[in-house]
Amino acid sequence: MAKDRLTEVLERYEAVIGLEIHTELTSLNSKMFCGCPVAFGGEPNTRVCPVCLGLPGALPVPNEAAVEATVLAGLSVECAIAPYSQFHRKQYFYPDMPKDYQISQYDLPFCGFGHVDIEVDGDGVAERIDLDAAVSANLLERDSDGYVTRIGVTRIHLEEDTGKMVHVGGSEGRISGADHSLVDFNRAGTPLMELVSEPDIRTPEEARRFAQKLRSIFLALGISDCSMEEGSMRVDGNVSVRPRGQVELGTKSEIKNMNSFKTLHDALAYEIVRQADEIDAGGRIVQETRHYDVGAKRTSALRSKEEAHDYRYFPEPDMVPFEFTPEWIEGIRARLPELPDARRDRFVRDFGLPKGDARTLAADASFADFFEEAVALTGPSLAKPLVNWALGDFSAYLNAEGISLGESRVTSAMLAELVELIGDGTISGKQGKVVFVEMTTSGDAPGAIVALRGMKQVSDSDAIEAAVDRVMAASPAEVANYRAGKTTLIGWFVGQVMREMKGQGNPGLVNEVLARKLDA
Amino acid sequence: MSISEADVRHVALLARLALSDEQIVRLQAELNSILGHIEHMQALDLEGVEPTSHSIPLRNATRPDVVRPGLSRELALLNAPEAENGAFVIPRIVGAEEGA
Repeated sequence: MAKDRLTEVLERYEAVIGLEIHTELTSLNSKMFCGCPVAFGGEPNTRVCPVCLGLPGALPVPNEAAVEATVLAGLSVECAIAPYSQFHRKQYFYPDMPKDYQISQYDLPFCGFGHVDIEVDGDGVAERIDLDAAVSANLLERDSDGYVTRIGVTRIHLEEDTGKMVHVGGSEGRISGADHSLVDFNRAGTPLMELVSEPDIRTPEEARRFAQKLRSIFLALGISDCSMEEGSMRVDGNVSVRPRGQVELGTKSEIKNMNSFKTLHDALAYEIVRQADEIDAGGRIVQETRHYDVGAKRTSALRSKEEAHDYRYFPEPDMVPFEFTPEWIEGIRARLPELPDARRDRFVRDFGLPKGDARTLAADASFADFFEEAVALTGPSLAKPLVNWALGDFSAYLNAEGISLGESRVTSAMLAELVELIGDGTISGKQGKVVFVEMTTSGDAPGAIVALRGMKQVSDSDAIEAAVDRVMAASPAEVANYRAGKTTLIGWFVGQVMREMKGQGNPGLVNEVLARKLDA
Repeated sequence: MSISEADVRHVALLARLALSDEQIVRLQAELNSILGHIEHMQALDLEGVEPTSHSIPLRNATRPDVVRPGLSRELALLNAPEAENGAFVIPRIVGAEEGA
């Protein structure tokens, strides 16, 4: 959908958006109410027990670490922590939920009344048509780059994830037209944290920024891997539109199946335009759940019965309530790490990084750790070229290989060394790119690659002779040992000469000259 | 407060119970008799009594985040009416909603 179509609609209609964000607590060892391991994928039904299969008589017991992680998440977004809370049963029938109820939280969730401040800059600023009118009390800041707005967090509660279904027969694995379905309960009972936002979001870009911000916070907390592709972070949106100036809210629809940040933006943009077109044509918006089709780039209604949303919540009789003391809550608060905004500001302050780069870096805690390890080696003077490499060629390498930082053959020390080699003029930036590619394939250190490939290497025999003379003069004991028969020292001498020559000596010539002079 | 026949049909649908007209009449009477008992309780003076959902004075019962052995797949699928490729087979879903 053309972007100008969205801005044209947003000039006449105001969109009101709230998000529901489900995050699996993937860093935990065990499931929400039983001791089955938390993991992704695997052979179907190999991580199951009577509790997560909902077998009669099984007794669920809450995972202490999941409760703590949820409270930690609440504190990270300025929530109040409920002094009294409990689990409820939410009844509905679906084959991926074996008990025919989900253990969730209802009117007494762990966390509520929080907020997250999001920065919008770049192209997305244009979606906020009313920026000049500044009608929203949530707009906190505005400058030439963009604006900062506050999104309220209604609540954060804890529940259990469902199993997974594979639909057999029919098209594209969709349920409609399927012949039958297969259920895998490996995911059933995975601790699932649900955050509900206030309807404070006004544009698809703000929705994307909000979801990205939460991801960066949860990554910093280390409670989830927040993978939208693998479904460990899932975002649903409630959207309505109203003519600008109207106070009364329009009828909302709920959008599902937005499994990337780009899809989240595009699906909401599509839905805003669809609703506006419907109203312009004299139609009426129906409250319904709509599924986003990434291929067709459109949303379509799912068939659902009205009774399906009568969940008949009641207090979970198998679990006693929670009462958190102020001391206990402060103990959890003490575990809060440096959060992405603070880290971004520190990167700007300490390393002079541009704000955008600092934010991108701080958004992924493990990536930011990688940068900090490298910059500790190079010193702050090389922070800027380092961040360019980290966000440029290095990120491109990780994306192209589809690997995580932990699987990277290029370590923080190697990237630091490469930036130093370029920084001190040993190799050019252009050579640096060649060396980097070699690092990603061989896993060798850049200094060794530069030496081996003879980059800017010195083949001038006078320079090599001089370097060999200096090394031999500085190491009389090693020379004596070598001459006494310990010829394996040759390797050590080569290393010393190469170091003397900043890795630029032609290794063949160095060997030759060394052997001649030592054997003389 | 009393339960109408329509209420009984609605709750039966939610609980996926297929009831005959005869059963619905009987259940309507039984449910109304249970609600009648609750009306007795509502007549009591409970001023100053905190509402409670649990009768035992226990709070914060949790378990440590430790993995424990579960069921083998063979055992887990033993009572499944039908299994395929290690998964539970369920019949075609009509008019269902996707995702949760």
